[in-house]
Amino acid sequence: MISVFIPPVLIFIFSYFKINKYLMAIIATSIIIPVIYIFFHPFHNSLFYVDKLGSFILLISSIVGIGVALAMISVDKRIEIKEKNIKRFYRFFALFWFGLIISILSNNLGLYWIGLELATLSTVYMIKVKATNIANREAWKYLIVGAVAISLILFGIILIYASAKNYLGENAMNFYILAKNTSLINHYMFEIGFLIASIGMFIKMGFFPMNLWLADIERAAIYPIGALFSGILESAIILGFMRLSHIEMDVNYSHLIVFVYIYAIFTLFIVSFLIYRSKDYIRLFSLSGIEHMTLISIFWVSGGYFAALLHFAAHALFKPALFLSGGILEQNKKYIFKGTLKGFKNKFIPLLISLLLLGVISLPPSPMFFSEIYGFKAMIDVSKNSNYFLLMILGVFLILIFLSIIFYKFVNVYQKALYEDGKEGEKKVYKSEILMLLLFTISLTLLLFSFDYIKGIV
Amino acid sequence: MIDVLIGFFLATLITQAFTTRLFRLILWYALNSLFLGLIAFYEGININDDEMKIMGIVTIAVKFFAIPYILKYFFAKFNIPRSIKPITSIQYLVIIIPIILVFTFYLITPLLNNFAHHSNYIAIAISSLMLSLLLMIEHKNIAAKIIGFLDIENSLFLLGISATDGMPMLIEIGIFVDLLMLIVIINILFKHQGEAQ
Repeated sequence: MISVFIPPVLIFIFSYFKINKYLMAIIATSIIIPVIYIFFHPFHNSLFYVDKLGSFILLISSIVGIGVALAMISVDKRIEIKEKNIKRFYRFFALFWFGLIISILSNNLGLYWIGLELATLSTVYMIKVKATNIANREAWKYLIVGAVAISLILFGIILIYASAKNYLGENAMNFYILAKNTSLINHYMFEIGFLIASIGMFIKMGFFPMNLWLADIERAAIYPIGALFSGILESAIILGFMRLSHIEMDVNYSHLIVFVYIYAIFTLFIVSFLIYRSKDYIRLFSLSGIEHMTLISIFWVSGGYFAALLHFAAHALFKPALFLSGGILEQNKKYIFKGTLKGFKNKFIPLLISLLLLGVISLPPSPMFFSEIYGFKAMIDVSKNSNYFLLMILGVFLILIFLSIIFYKFVNVYQKALYEDGKEGEKKVYKSEILMLLLFTISLTLLLFSFDYIKGIV
Repeated sequence: MIDVLIGFFLATLITQAFTTRLFRLILWYALNSLFLGLIAFYEGININDDEMKIMGIVTIAVKFFAIPYILKYFFAKFNIPRSIKPITSIQYLVIIIPIILVFTFYLITPLLNNFAHHSNYIAIAISSLMLSLLLMIEHKNIAAKIIGFLDIENSLFLLGISATDGMPMLIEIGIFVDLLMLIVIINILFKHQGEAQ
């Protein structure tokens, strides 16, 4: 299992020498070997817990890591970055990746938090790689908001630990043992801890009231940052939420439903209108990422595990691909939608990006289409068994209305990009970008054939 | 003894909310950390826990001596403005702070039976978290926000001591390492501020 940490460690070491981006991409790709081994050999001990869920999320996040390393080969052709800043990016990218692998594999709430904190702090400098005043300001903003979010998570973790320490001792930190001994937990204290930790996790994913901070940061930073956030960071956070909410389901299911539904629907309400008003691709993708995280949370707590995991995997592959395509879409002009899919010599790349753009709003046969169908089915099942049937059905309808606003905006953006005239000029697509897009497209296609496996995860 | 120390811990935190000078804020933070370290040390003696005694000493060494010294050095080096007037007026703060304290004691009431000797400390730890958040919200100055975040770390540590009789040592060391990394990141951010175009 240790071998899964070798690629980030090697990237960290090589970042101190003259950067060879191809070598970095090869090192990043090598992670797939230990990840596939872990995928087929689940295990758990006091520090690490590699079940089907953890190994699945590790696989998806590793694909994103490889995609980012591929896109980094040509990033300096898209954005002006100094050599020393690229070195620093790789250094902190390695720390970020290392931290999140720890979080994803951890069986210990404290270790999970340490990995998350390591990733949060290392992200601060990655945002600042682009030497502009806006990036500098956003790096500070990330440091403050990210640190507050992570502190709330730790606060919740301490309360959760305290809720079971009298009976479980130091094992009260252990995800696996906690989940097996929910009857021994002090329910009130666990719920306060879960509530505070969840708010911290939601803030990190850009939920209400922090809807804009993630979009601002991703806009100010270089394109791979958005990909890392949506593909790796959010994977680790949502895994923590999934594990803790699974315990909360045994503690008090109705409290969980009320809390997550109200929080997520309110977030979705704000995000849908922010998406409607967004004027550039990166903000659009970023806000759409928040929308997906709300849906994943809702599907998961509604018992639609298959839908939540499928939606998560699709989101974690679609969004990085789109963020990394930002450089292709925004070349020759900035922050407009008109004509961004026109003017390419090779028609294959705009076609691929179009498919991603439409797939992300669940147009069939996108995996998101299936995840939403199954997710809404799970929500209706929960409603039928609830004492508040009408209220819950109202919630479902509200979600559908907000999703339709988002759907309209994406279709509108697609039409503008394809049919309206902009300043096309000559548009280039680099080989590394084609490779990156192919990697994500193939992964998404494989996802369509993995439904049976995903159904068996939980 | 711990009751007195925890009282001073809270008092230094409340004073920070009213402070308008940066270096004075660092001083109050250092004192807050000193009382925290002493609480951990005395609690370690009370329950005969060597790990907690060590964490108390490490807290005093890192948070009372090292971090305030480093922060003062950075703020002087990078000419951070010394005046840090809070955006919330003092007359409002004197109303908000007691409300926070009363609310957290109310929040913790259902747990009073579960903790024979520490329930008030948990309430103080949660109110410290709220006060630290207040400190971050009421200042526009980035330096004050950093101190606010460090206060959050202190509140977390107090919660760890009071609610759980100390977290596992591995986790506490990890938290310290992350805290030191935060200081490194702050240094990098200040240092390369001039590179922005």
